[in-house]
Amino acid sequence: MRADGAPDLRVEGLVKRYAPQVTIGPISFEVYPGEYLSLLGPSGCGKTTTLRCIAGFEELTAGTIHLGDVRLDRQPAHKRNVGLVFQNYALFPHLTVYENVAFGLRLARVDRREIDRRVGAMLELVGLGDACRRLPAQLSGGQQQRVAIARAVVMEPRVILFDEPLSNLDLKLRLQMRRELRELQRRLGKTTIYVTHDQAEALALSDRIAVLSHGRIEQIGSPREIYERPASAFVADFIGTANLVRGEVLGAVEGRLTVAVGETLRLIAEWPGPAPRGALTLMLRPERIRIDWPGSEAAENRFTGTLGDIVYLGEDVSLTVQLDGAVELMVTAKSDARSRTLVPGARVALSAEPADLHVLAP
Amino acid sequence: MTAISHTAASLDDAGEPRARIASWGTLLAAPYALYLVLVLLVPLGIVTVYSFFTYSTTGVALPVLTLRNYAQLADPYFLRLIGRTAGIALKTTAICVVLGYPLAYALARAKGALASLGFFLLLTPLMVSPVVRALGWYVLLDRNGLVNTVLVACGAGRQQLLFSEPAVLVGLSHLLLPFMVLPLVASIERIPPSLEEAARNLGASPLGVFRKVILPLSLPGLISGAVLVYVESASAYVLPALLGGRFVRMIGNEVYDALLVSYNVPQAAMLTVALVVVTIGILGASMALARRAIAVGRASR
Amino acid sequence: MSRGRAVFGSAIVLIYGFILLPLVVIVGVSFNAGSLFDFPPKGLSLRWYDALFAQSSFLHAFLDVSVTVGVATALAATLLGGLAAIALVRFRFPGRGFLEAFFLTPLVVPHILLGAALYLYFARLGLSASLTTLVISHVLIATPYVVRNVAAGLVGLDPAIEEAAVNLGASRLRAFLRVALPQIRYSVVSSLVFAFIVSFSDINVALFVSGPDTTTLPVYLFSQVQWQSDPSIAAASTVQIVLVALVVAGLQKTFRARIGM
Repeated sequence: MRADGAPDLRVEGLVKRYAPQVTIGPISFEVYPGEYLSLLGPSGCGKTTTLRCIAGFEELTAGTIHLGDVRLDRQPAHKRNVGLVFQNYALFPHLTVYENVAFGLRLARVDRREIDRRVGAMLELVGLGDACRRLPAQLSGGQQQRVAIARAVVMEPRVILFDEPLSNLDLKLRLQMRRELRELQRRLGKTTIYVTHDQAEALALSDRIAVLSHGRIEQIGSPREIYERPASAFVADFIGTANLVRGEVLGAVEGRLTVAVGETLRLIAEWPGPAPRGALTLMLRPERIRIDWPGSEAAENRFTGTLGDIVYLGEDVSLTVQLDGAVELMVTAKSDARSRTLVPGARVALSAEPADLHVLAP
Repeated sequence: MTAISHTAASLDDAGEPRARIASWGTLLAAPYALYLVLVLLVPLGIVTVYSFFTYSTTGVALPVLTLRNYAQLADPYFLRLIGRTAGIALKTTAICVVLGYPLAYALARAKGALASLGFFLLLTPLMVSPVVRALGWYVLLDRNGLVNTVLVACGAGRQQLLFSEPAVLVGLSHLLLPFMVLPLVASIERIPPSLEEAARNLGASPLGVFRKVILPLSLPGLISGAVLVYVESASAYVLPALLGGRFVRMIGNEVYDALLVSYNVPQAAMLTVALVVVTIGILGASMALARRAIAVGRASR
Repeated sequence: MSRGRAVFGSAIVLIYGFILLPLVVIVGVSFNAGSLFDFPPKGLSLRWYDALFAQSSFLHAFLDVSVTVGVATALAATLLGGLAAIALVRFRFPGRGFLEAFFLTPLVVPHILLGAALYLYFARLGLSASLTTLVISHVLIATPYVVRNVAAGLVGLDPAIEEAAVNLGASRLRAFLRVALPQIRYSVVSSLVFAFIVSFSDINVALFVSGPDTTTLPVYLFSQVQWQSDPSIAAASTVQIVLVALVVAGLQKTFRARIGM
């Protein structure tokens, strides 16, 4: 949770080549003690490969992995002491819950009483104290999940790896397990690397997120950074929804850019650094676009358009608005009394804060 | 014959030198491979060699190379023998296909206790010796057997059922039906029931569903089963001996007699080679034909 | 639709009737009071079972030969085939694809051919018919089933489970022994049983390879059918049927799964 001090895990220049055309990497990142880092991306982006390289089930083509001072990628998989929680739990079907959790301790020849103590404590911690004697087949998905976690954590590894552990659960259970996972991690304080393709999950659980695409890391940052200041169009689009608008820089004054979009639209975006020139892409989140109801006066970035589709989502309404000049925007508004007056085809006035207009590289 | 596929997790992944991997695998496979060479290939080789030797009244055979044994195949007796064997094998295969498909489908789609019972009733006869099953048919088809009793009661009169080709066909189909059913079950099980439902939803009759969905998708199992049934029936000995007697002789009977009765080793050897040719040759031809038919069928769509 | 299903159902029942009829007949005949092969039996009696178990040649064929050879074959074939299956599924080495097909060839070679070839082979080697030659022959025809069975069991294993064991500190070998092998115990046991039954029921190979002192039960039955016909052979056959039925049912019950070939 604190990005200070020496990292627990350091991945440098990791490359994995499957075939002449298929390469993952180079990938580099660090994970600090107690931190919860998510590797987030669509299927095929390399997140699972990276995890399996850390666990030792894939061999690196190039690069290094360090666990503290130890060169991890040179160690055989069974000596690495990084806990791994599998996607389908991978519980030993012929062993009871107790024997599953005790498996690694028995291999390490830990004293029997010590095993008893540690396994007992761990099972209590995950809420499965009375399930010791049951077989995995007799447990629900959520319970199996917890046994898998207990089994990995009881070994007291330095780092725990999670391989999309919640993707097999239904929505309600997933949300519940998400809360439990977060609590568990806080309580144990273990350094965690969590692989997922679910961006809401990553946002909810992580201290930092590494977004991957096509075998490279697009951006690493806190959930807020990733969401509000995406580094690329891919990240902007992968996390939440994004409106991406192309424009030309007209001028810059004291950290504010004026951008021309199409013939008529002029938008002002906040940009602290040196002003870029020429073409660029602006990102605007749908929920950051405000509807200018009659009577309100927004100062900057006002524009009008025609309402297309209106989708009722319960808490919100999702609107498609066609601006003059072939620009289409998605707008998310609260479904309050006023929103009921909106009809397709009507003209609607919108505005956005300059701070919410994020500049992406061209 | 189903192919053996491979898991992702080999014992030789991640971090072990290549030379050690190759030697472990070969070490484990070597005993059986060696066994096959010594107990399968060498004897087969010896048989082939013997088929070119000359008949000897004193020893096993005279190591004088000759083609006379094979020349015998031109004799109408042997030609009829081969023809009859192939004919019976093909008819048996056809019967097994007709009887086997419904059974395989029923078993593939059955669940729970019914499925267990179904398999039990199929597997137990399969595991019982062919002699026992042939004996059963012998008793059934005898002049005073149950079938004749029924025929008499129906007014058809007592028939000589045994020692005829139909008797052999009945016995062989009964014997080999499980060989057809089991691969078919495996194939049909792989067809998701939703495919059948989709076909029915689009207007196909049950027969249409069979022709358009089940049949093409279970082809591997069908071929596997048909090959097995054909090879086994072409090489049958016990059943034609018991149920066919002197009137229905197949290659297997000739081999046995030549080897253990007349002690004509070269002739027996030649016949076994001829048997291999009959089975593999006809198999290969029909598979080539089938492949052509499938290709033509595909192209015409 | 239900009329179609009724027709289909009756067809299935008829086919099963066809399959079971000869066996039912045999069992029925064995209980005949008279000395004819009457079915349905005219009068019930156990006399043929008494007669059977009094025949030392039957007992010898059954116990001393068939069961002994069957057990030996089961053990040898399972060991040989099990190792081969592990090699095929878990290792990569040159020639593996070829061996995959080669290991299964005894399945497609007609037993008559194997019997004749082995008969000549053993003669050439100067080996007279013995229990050993029988076991050697039966192992040849039984092992491919073991290879297929065990390989299928191995292929069906979830690789993640062994990876979990490795992750917890087991070497690959220990993970395999501790986690994978227990999961394929069904394949191993069914292989043992299969190999036993293949040996126990074989006639085509045993006909050539057995000798006067090493007559297997099926060979004994075959010669009895041809030369001496009284219902004691039906009794002997029933013994075989009952034994096989018990074994099959036992396997099904224990593992609650289907035995495929």
